[in-house]
Amino acid sequence: MTKIIETRDLSYSYGDGTQALKGINISFERGKKVALVGPNGAGKSTLMLMMNGILRPSSGEVLFSGKPLRYDAASLRAIRRAVGMVFQNSDDQLFAPTVYQDVAFGPINLGFSPEKVKRYVGFALRYVGLCGYERRPPHHLSGGEKKRVAIAGILAMEPEVMILDEPTSNLDPASSEEIMDMLDELNHGGKTLIISTHDVELAYRWADEIILMKDGEVVRRGTGQEVFSDVDLIRDARLKQPLVVDIYLELMSRDIVRGSKPPRNILELCDLLQPKAREGTGASGKIYICDVDQIPGGEIQALIDRASVSFIGGMGTAAKALSERCSISLDFTYGVIDKCILKALTGKSALIMTSGGMVDHSQHRIQDYCRESGAEIEICSLSMRQDEIEKDMTG
Amino acid sequence: MHDLLDDYAQNNALRDTSPYIKMLLGLGSILISVSSTTPVAPLFVALTMSLATLILAKIPGRIYSRLLLVPLSFALISAAVVAFMHGSGQTLYSVELFGTTLHLQTDGVELAVLLIARTFGGMCSLFFIALTTPMIEIFATLKSLHIPESIIELSMMIYRYIFVFLDQADRIHSAQMMRLGDASARSSLTSFAMLSSVLFLSSWEQGERLIVAMDSRCYDGKLGLMEEENKAAPSQIIAVALYLIATATISVLSRNVSLL
Repeated sequence: MTKIIETRDLSYSYGDGTQALKGINISFERGKKVALVGPNGAGKSTLMLMMNGILRPSSGEVLFSGKPLRYDAASLRAIRRAVGMVFQNSDDQLFAPTVYQDVAFGPINLGFSPEKVKRYVGFALRYVGLCGYERRPPHHLSGGEKKRVAIAGILAMEPEVMILDEPTSNLDPASSEEIMDMLDELNHGGKTLIISTHDVELAYRWADEIILMKDGEVVRRGTGQEVFSDVDLIRDARLKQPLVVDIYLELMSRDIVRGSKPPRNILELCDLLQPKAREGTGASGKIYICDVDQIPGGEIQALIDRASVSFIGGMGTAAKALSERCSISLDFTYGVIDKCILKALTGKSALIMTSGGMVDHSQHRIQDYCRESGAEIEICSLSMRQDEIEKDMTG
Repeated sequence: MHDLLDDYAQNNALRDTSPYIKMLLGLGSILISVSSTTPVAPLFVALTMSLATLILAKIPGRIYSRLLLVPLSFALISAAVVAFMHGSGQTLYSVELFGTTLHLQTDGVELAVLLIARTFGGMCSLFFIALTTPMIEIFATLKSLHIPESIIELSMMIYRYIFVFLDQADRIHSAQMMRLGDASARSSLTSFAMLSSVLFLSSWEQGERLIVAMDSRCYDGKLGLMEEENKAAPSQIIAVALYLIATATISVLSRNVSLL
């Protein structure tokens, strides 16, 4: 893993002398999902604003791909293109009078030709699932839609790293989950993601790595399981345990479960509680995975009708758009793979609709799970030919 | 939330008609209305433009009548003043007020009627533009008319943030009302002063956040406009041209018509 952003003894003081950051030494690896957590005033936003050169450190330096950041106009343009930032309040970010103009702002200022601008804006809006919103003014959008436009505006500049300050604050739960699912999709596409959040559940479930900040310092970094099982640390940082960890610690103290580290999600918690359930032979259901880019909606609909699929999950924007077009109602729109595994373990069949690199990812994730837990879940990938599916279903 | 003209401009039956043709129709009608010397042409414009707004653009009648009431009430008050204060000619009516006699004379009455008709015709045409053409298309039209870009870009941002501040003012106002900020005339005045100063400061801060937001997306002095535009169909151009010619003809032919 190569380091994409690194800080060395990074300090920052505001005009009134308050020290927001005190000698931060930290590195972010390429292609990771990192969550900065910590109480209000811990310095998360300040640190983020430094990573694309909006704020200049009082002392120390920021390195991008191993090179120290310089603050002349040309270098700043380069770093701001490579490190895109999505602000907490979408109204701060969406300043143009229409969605199209706002998304086009970055590409136009990078000096792209009009055709290229159009292509990039089209791509970005398709990615966030807002095709057809081009002419809408931002004040006619919902909070979730505004956030998507803000993300599209950054995507259109093709950043390597995306920094999101509190991406789910002020959003309803469904919108937050959709935003987080979209961030997962971006991560599969190779983007490095850094978010700040107060939502411990979200950080725990989503992030590869947690960086815990307090009073302008990094107090702990590690996986969610490492950081959040330290009860004292979490209390001192004015955070709380994710519910799964809380339950796990309580069960541990009663000797109901035994394990070296807390479960990451409900699936792992269920396995801890009921390790033998899946050893029942042939009881588990099938998981169908279909690539919505390759298989037309009608065929998916036909499959749902013929195979006894009890649950359908949609992962990524393309799958959600297709399900809406073909009025396929989705049971799961986030944490799809885990939920489908859970259903399969109870003997029900589930269908995962997804696209691109996430098809393989889903398959590997399920296979990895089976290998680790010893469960047997049959995966039926629908990129195979129609007659094979039929044989598979009848046989 | 709010019931804004902008919402209707975004969603009306003439939304996708070329902004040029809509602005040509509206501005042409305004010019004919205000330059006409008798009330006939302006009243014709008022009637036809209202029908266009209500039937072609499908704007609800309730909203439209409420909108027209505002300028109309102003026009009526000023027309009353003009009618009594102005002119010569035959006295139609006189009234004793505070020891002076006010006369209503033919000239004054004719001028007052003309005033109302012109206002009415002009407002109907203006509302036609306002209710059918979103601001953003007006900006694009202005750009093609070679208005300096910095003026257009500034207007676009002002337009965008009107809504942000409107929301904010609304929230502050509710917060004040919740704690009885309007208990007396005096406290209403204080509340209003506070609202204004807070809004000023927050617009200042918003401006600073705006610069950060623009800088972090490599601002280089360029703010694009929507490129795509709806072209006017030949039939539309002919229809608008015929309408304007007809109205102008009415205006010319009726120049000697007298009310009284």
